[in-house]
Amino acid sequence: MSRDSVNSHPIRDLVTVVLGVGLLLILAFPFIWVVLISFRPEADIFTRTFQLVTTFTLENYAILLEDSPFPTYLRNSLVVCTIATVVAVTIAMITAYGFSRNRRFVGRQTLLIMVIATQLFPFVILITPLYATFFSLGMINNPLALIISYIAVNLPFCIYMLLGYLDTIPRDLDDAARIDGATTLQIIFRVILPVAWPGIVTVSVYAFVSAWDEFLFALTLMTSDENKTVPVGLAGFFGEYTTQWNLVMAASVISTLPTLIIFMFLQRKLVSDLSAGAVKT
Amino acid sequence: MTVLPTSAPAEEPAQILGKKLEPYLLVLPAMLILAFFFAGPAVYNIALAFQELSLFDLGREGKWVGFANFAEVLTDPSTGQSLINTTLWLTIITVVLRLALGLGLALLLNATVFSRWKLGWLVRSLILVPWVTPPVVAVAAWKWLLDARYGVVNQALMGLGLIDQGIPFLARTSTVWGAIETMLIWRELPFVVITILAALQSIPSELREAARIDGANEFQIQTRIVLPLLKPVLAVITLLTTIWTFNNFVYVWLATRGGPGDYTQVLATQMYTTSFVDYRMGAGAAVGVVMSLIMFAFALVYFFVIFREK
Repeated sequence: MSRDSVNSHPIRDLVTVVLGVGLLLILAFPFIWVVLISFRPEADIFTRTFQLVTTFTLENYAILLEDSPFPTYLRNSLVVCTIATVVAVTIAMITAYGFSRNRRFVGRQTLLIMVIATQLFPFVILITPLYATFFSLGMINNPLALIISYIAVNLPFCIYMLLGYLDTIPRDLDDAARIDGATTLQIIFRVILPVAWPGIVTVSVYAFVSAWDEFLFALTLMTSDENKTVPVGLAGFFGEYTTQWNLVMAASVISTLPTLIIFMFLQRKLVSDLSAGAVKT
Repeated sequence: MTVLPTSAPAEEPAQILGKKLEPYLLVLPAMLILAFFFAGPAVYNIALAFQELSLFDLGREGKWVGFANFAEVLTDPSTGQSLINTTLWLTIITVVLRLALGLGLALLLNATVFSRWKLGWLVRSLILVPWVTPPVVAVAAWKWLLDARYGVVNQALMGLGLIDQGIPFLARTSTVWGAIETMLIWRELPFVVITILAALQSIPSELREAARIDGANEFQIQTRIVLPLLKPVLAVITLLTTIWTFNNFVYVWLATRGGPGDYTQVLATQMYTTSFVDYRMGAGAAVGVVMSLIMFAFALVYFFVIFREK
């Protein structure tokens, strides 16, 4: 701290903070604006552009949740993303344990490289063949097709991140449990899982959010309105010809809530974990 | 009392075999999923690219047509336009701008004053706002901000007397790419900033101090000491953002559907339109193969350059 005080100039500090926070506020403005607009009466949305605060109303949210199919989209997204996340993280946990605790089996290196290489895979080319495959299986418009897709897409990153975590957990834990007669699966879920909890939270959040945001697979694989997810449903509100801006605003805020809440509680940890994960690749 | 053997009991052959098999059993389920999901479709996509197959004829085998789909895709003048759009307007410009803006913002936010004044939480919360916004919401928000009649941008320009009537940014060829790029850069900038910030914070402060004592000024410290240390991180970000952006579908599709006309068509939207709007799965798959080959070539060149530098 003494070192900092030597080269801290109050004026330069103030300029830095004002500039930094100012730029960040400009960056955050589009979303803050959407939040403000979402609480305006429909008539005010189109007239009082620059007024920061007009009449406060929940009517846009009421219409969205009572007279639009949005609650169905919301439920679909929650179900699909939750199941996909739980399954992906469970499988990733077993796989990462296999890689972490067995350093020298034949093919380990090749398999790990393949796992990492899928991160660079152009996902968009998957969509035509996957549509064809799910079509042959009679699974177009079946939420299970979407769940399977999201599990697979998230699996490589989850394996990779969890592997990093498990490598830091001492093997003495496994050995002690094994002497007590625990099977490998028991060790993974009763011994390692409680210790690896912080890593599992990060990985689960990542898997959930990336499924929550996903658009192309949901657009192609879910054809009927009752199976649409939030992004595809929301996109329907600002279609080519008409835009129901009041619904778009409210739906945008609700669509962002899950990620916003998760990140608010875990911001410090997530930022360091995710950036570390990205940089390691 | 019987005397117990002192040495540990030898492992049964079955146990040894079980131990050898265990890693394979643990990683097998995930590997099967990845094979089914990545390797399978990749191979099938290549096979599909050599067939003529309508979306309505799925489940049957298509008519094998050799390189006809590729010939069509590669000679179609609109493909050339998509290729330029994807490479230059969608990818290169936004990647360069993201790196430049992200680097600048990260260097600014890395100043010690933010931690001394206990503003870390504020910085982290604000920088995360675009990132927590789903891409679809980002496009919706910007479509509203850029709206010709009611959008803040046009109202501000009119208020300042710069224009007489609102500009339909997404409907004009002169402004449409700028608008799409703004949406994309806005949503994807935080990833770059956060990643560079993390790298900056791992640089030991002793390095800067030593340089300062040797008489280096702030600018020299940033360009001669900090930037070289950031090189590996910048390399990874460049690779990842390039690949993600090149293959991105959602921004262009939701902003313009490739319009006005075909003006903002990119390879990903062209592929989707060919397969799922025109119902020509074979031709769509051919576009996918072309995309993959370009990305593969890019990755090879990229790794070659990185490898040579080391």
